[in-house]
Amino acid sequence: MRNLIAFFRRFRIFLFFALLQGIALTTYFNYLAYPRSQYLTTASAVSGQLLEYHNDIVKHFQLAYNNRKLQYENALLRKRLANSFIRVDNNTVLVNDTLNDQQYEYIPAVVINSTVNKRNNYFTLNSGWKKGIKRGMGVISANGIVGIIHNVSEHFSVVRSVLTENINIDVIVASNGIPGILKWNGMNAKIGSIASISNDLPIKKWSKIITSGGSGLFPRGLTVGKIKEYKMVEGKPLWDVSIYYSEDYRKIQNVYVIKNLLLKEQKKMESTIPSDIEDDIK
Amino acid sequence: MIEIIKHSVRFVLFLLAQAFIFNQLEIGLGIQLMVYPLFIFLLPLEINIFASMIVSFLLGFGIDMLSNTYGLHASSALILAYGRPYLVKLFEPRDGFDPGVELTVYTMGYAWFSYVFGIFLLAHTTWFFLIEQFKWSEFWYVLLKTVLGVPLSLGVCILIQFLFLKKPSKR
Repeated sequence: MRNLIAFFRRFRIFLFFALLQGIALTTYFNYLAYPRSQYLTTASAVSGQLLEYHNDIVKHFQLAYNNRKLQYENALLRKRLANSFIRVDNNTVLVNDTLNDQQYEYIPAVVINSTVNKRNNYFTLNSGWKKGIKRGMGVISANGIVGIIHNVSEHFSVVRSVLTENINIDVIVASNGIPGILKWNGMNAKIGSIASISNDLPIKKWSKIITSGGSGLFPRGLTVGKIKEYKMVEGKPLWDVSIYYSEDYRKIQNVYVIKNLLLKEQKKMESTIPSDIEDDIK
Repeated sequence: MIEIIKHSVRFVLFLLAQAFIFNQLEIGLGIQLMVYPLFIFLLPLEINIFASMIVSFLLGFGIDMLSNTYGLHASSALILAYGRPYLVKLFEPRDGFDPGVELTVYTMGYAWFSYVFGIFLLAHTTWFFLIEQFKWSEFWYVLLKTVLGVPLSLGVCILIQFLFLKKPSKR
């Protein structure tokens, strides 16, 4: 017993160090995998508020670029308004549209904090569950996809951006529908990569990459980027494809969170697949 | 008493500067500027090591909360606080430190400061990127980021002292 106490006295500094180090590393690796509360992230009220002040100053730096982008998007949307069409045929009667059901809704939000130079980059948005944002929703901007909601508090939310290692969004090559999974290699914020495209499938440089809409997070057909180059993976029958993102994540500010109104239905249908068959598919 | 107030003010300033200015800078090549090691380095030499570890841990966690790194900075800051007494003892001048001295560029000279603080930063940055990447396959990329980042951070930390510390009058 005395030896034990002597041991603790002798190594008390190191033990204290190991204890604190243990706390830090466990929180780090736990939060990376799955966030249990929002207190340690930028979604918490205090850091969220501080970042809001910060954004009030910094948002003006990219104002011209963002305004131009919004203006362009407005022009595009205005074109689709009912009053910018001319009635060609006067005989039809306008009926309440039952052919199209609304599937996706868009919640606007502003990125108040973002990084692009870490291995895994998270963006903070100034909207939380009060505006209907939930964990696991997709986030897009005018030019491309941004990420998936990782953690939500009352007024803020944290997005796991496409600049994280295992973002795993399902994408397809637009021209021929070859599916792949989006990843990021951590080197450059402009360049992403696509895994699991078998190398007997023909792909072309500069072909457009779009979302596949399979997981229900993003509508089908949102632009992700363009193929920059593709190489063989050594020892595997796969292409190593790298793409230019269509969005410049260093300047991103205005984003939309996607609410899929039919997600529950889709998940319910998919849960009826027997699990052993699903394993075979994987 | 005045020392405690001075270091508390510094704590807040370094926390905000690191989270809102230096973590937001995009230099490219994955370089990240680290200035908060300077705060830990400038803590009084006589401080209890438990106190310095707790202070560094809190500083690191504060930065983590503001930049979504969940404990990465806390872990690296803790390494610094733990290693500092040993490092400083290793590079103690022949006739010891003056009592109550602060380890700045002015009091210790350029050569000593760059050398010792350089080692300090190197340990910090290596640990930080190793934990962040956590893959041996990306070791060379970690090395590149460290080798490019440390001299830059060192330069910025020396510059900060030029700008914000008063030159002590010659005795």
